Amino acid sequence: MAWLAVALYVAFLLFPVGHALFLSLTDRRMLFNEYDFIGLDNYRALPGDSRLVASLQFSLTVVVSVTLASNVLGIAFAVLLNRPTPAFRLMRTLVFIPQVLSGVIVGFMWQTILAPNGILNVTLVDLGLVDQPVNWLGDSTLATIAICFVVSWTTIAFTTVIYSAGLQAIPTELYEAAKIDGANRIQAFTRITFPMLASALTISVTLSLIITLKLYDVIVVLTGGGPANSTRSTAFHLVWVAFEQGRAGQASAVAMLLLAITAVVAYLTTSLLRRREVRL
Amino acid sequence: MRVGPKGVNIATSRLSPAAVGRGFHLSMAWLVTFLFILPVYIAFSNTFKTQAQILDGPLELPAPFTTDNVTDAWNRSDRLVQDGLINSVLITVITVSIIIPLASAVSLYLHQSRPALRRILTAILALGLMVPPQVSLQPIVLLLQEIHLNNSRTGLILANIGGGYLSFATFVYMGFISSIPRDILDAARVDGASDLRIWWKILLPLLRPATATVAIFVGLWSWNDFLNPLFIIGPLDGVTITTGIYITLGGFSVDFAHLFGVMFIAAVIPIIGYLATQREFISGLMKGATE
Repeated sequence: MAWLAVALYVAFLLFPVGHALFLSLTDRRMLFNEYDFIGLDNYRALPGDSRLVASLQFSLTVVVSVTLASNVLGIAFAVLLNRPTPAFRLMRTLVFIPQVLSGVIVGFMWQTILAPNGILNVTLVDLGLVDQPVNWLGDSTLATIAICFVVSWTTIAFTTVIYSAGLQAIPTELYEAAKIDGANRIQAFTRITFPMLASALTISVTLSLIITLKLYDVIVVLTGGGPANSTRSTAFHLVWVAFEQGRAGQASAVAMLLLAITAVVAYLTTSLLRRREVRL
Repeated sequence: MRVGPKGVNIATSRLSPAAVGRGFHLSMAWLVTFLFILPVYIAFSNTFKTQAQILDGPLELPAPFTTDNVTDAWNRSDRLVQDGLINSVLITVITVSIIIPLASAVSLYLHQSRPALRRILTAILALGLMVPPQVSLQPIVLLLQEIHLNNSRTGLILANIGGGYLSFATFVYMGFISSIPRDILDAARVDGASDLRIWWKILLPLLRPATATVAIFVGLWSWNDFLNPLFIIGPLDGVTITTGIYITLGGFSVDFAHLFGVMFIAAVIPIIGYLATQREFISGLMKGATE
């Protein structure tokens, strides 16, 4: 039984990654079986690919802002909702719902809100806050902000739950001792709460980073990568080169780049944050 | 502020500052929670309104109430909802019921192997959690073409089982196995039980909470998956409920009422599943995350 699992894992995870590395050294195209080795040409072509460079910039923006927002707000929500009564338990249950929905549903949900004739514009015009409907998804900057906002909405859902569990593990004696020592609320947070959340922070920062690096579904539905290709993540670009252009070799070089970035980011954050946990 | 040791305020005839503070805190918490899930409320309440009602007052409660959107979605002539649901249920159920025995067997094997070997194998398995699915997608499609399983549900299920879900499931089981006393397994071995018997008779019953976690998360992920079904099955050879919505309703949709009706049917199953199992859900999230 274990061997069957190993075989499947090799066939559908290890072999594909190895095969992508192999393909990245060839000029293979999706619909043709013949190909030649072209050495590192696919990698040499990467820096000159303006769409790739733009996708890296976009991904960097999303990864940094979503990770920041979802962890800062996740801690804030967790602290706000950290009471043992049923009402607060219900709120913590509700806050997780965005994580249960598929990226496609999330995308459509926000599309009905942000579309030119969408619910946000209808409401803003009704209230007289704007004269003309705002084209939230039709402007590069606004669309980028919209994507960051929507993705943060889904990641906050799980960071809040992880930080809530972290908070519940903090012994209340610590706060009582601090109160006796005359510490105010801010000092209690910076000296007790935040340091005690160190392992929760490691988990949710790492997860936020990995999730945003492979961001795809929400973008496809909400903006389709537009307007003017301004909201294409690197993962989106990779799928586009592979399946729209059918350039298997070139796509594999992009795949190796994305894999390398993910590996480095995952390794650096876990080792840095783990070391921080030990120090605290 | 006069507060007792456990935050119990000393009651007075008028509202004490502590009680006012608590009331303020509670209303702030409700306000923030409500704003946060407002998009979910909008989608849910507008499912039961006509298009005109939606555009007139998108935030209002559905009065008068209509279920036309849901029935229209269900009765689409292209059978989007029925076919999508059948495919999603099949793919999800088969993926989960194969991954449970496989991952628990792998975790038993890892548990019994030498520490050095276990470390190497664990690191290789951890790769499955990290590799973005877009990276392995194209080679998987090429491989499935080679063995003539491309554009099929079987191909998608195989890719599901062999991918990152297996790593996740194995790590969940490993977390539980290490808490089972070694003596139980050793005693069974002394009694001459085979590995298969130990796994089936002793381990699986003991690992039931881990199985719940695995079933919930792998089930949710394969139900919600978009990338793999979109490219492995392909748009012409069947859709899941998740890819079906995108393929048929993609682009800017003007008919919000219909969109909400379809979305409701697609989202209601995972949400009910979550609400029904939320205790296991949250503890599973924590266990999975700490691995």
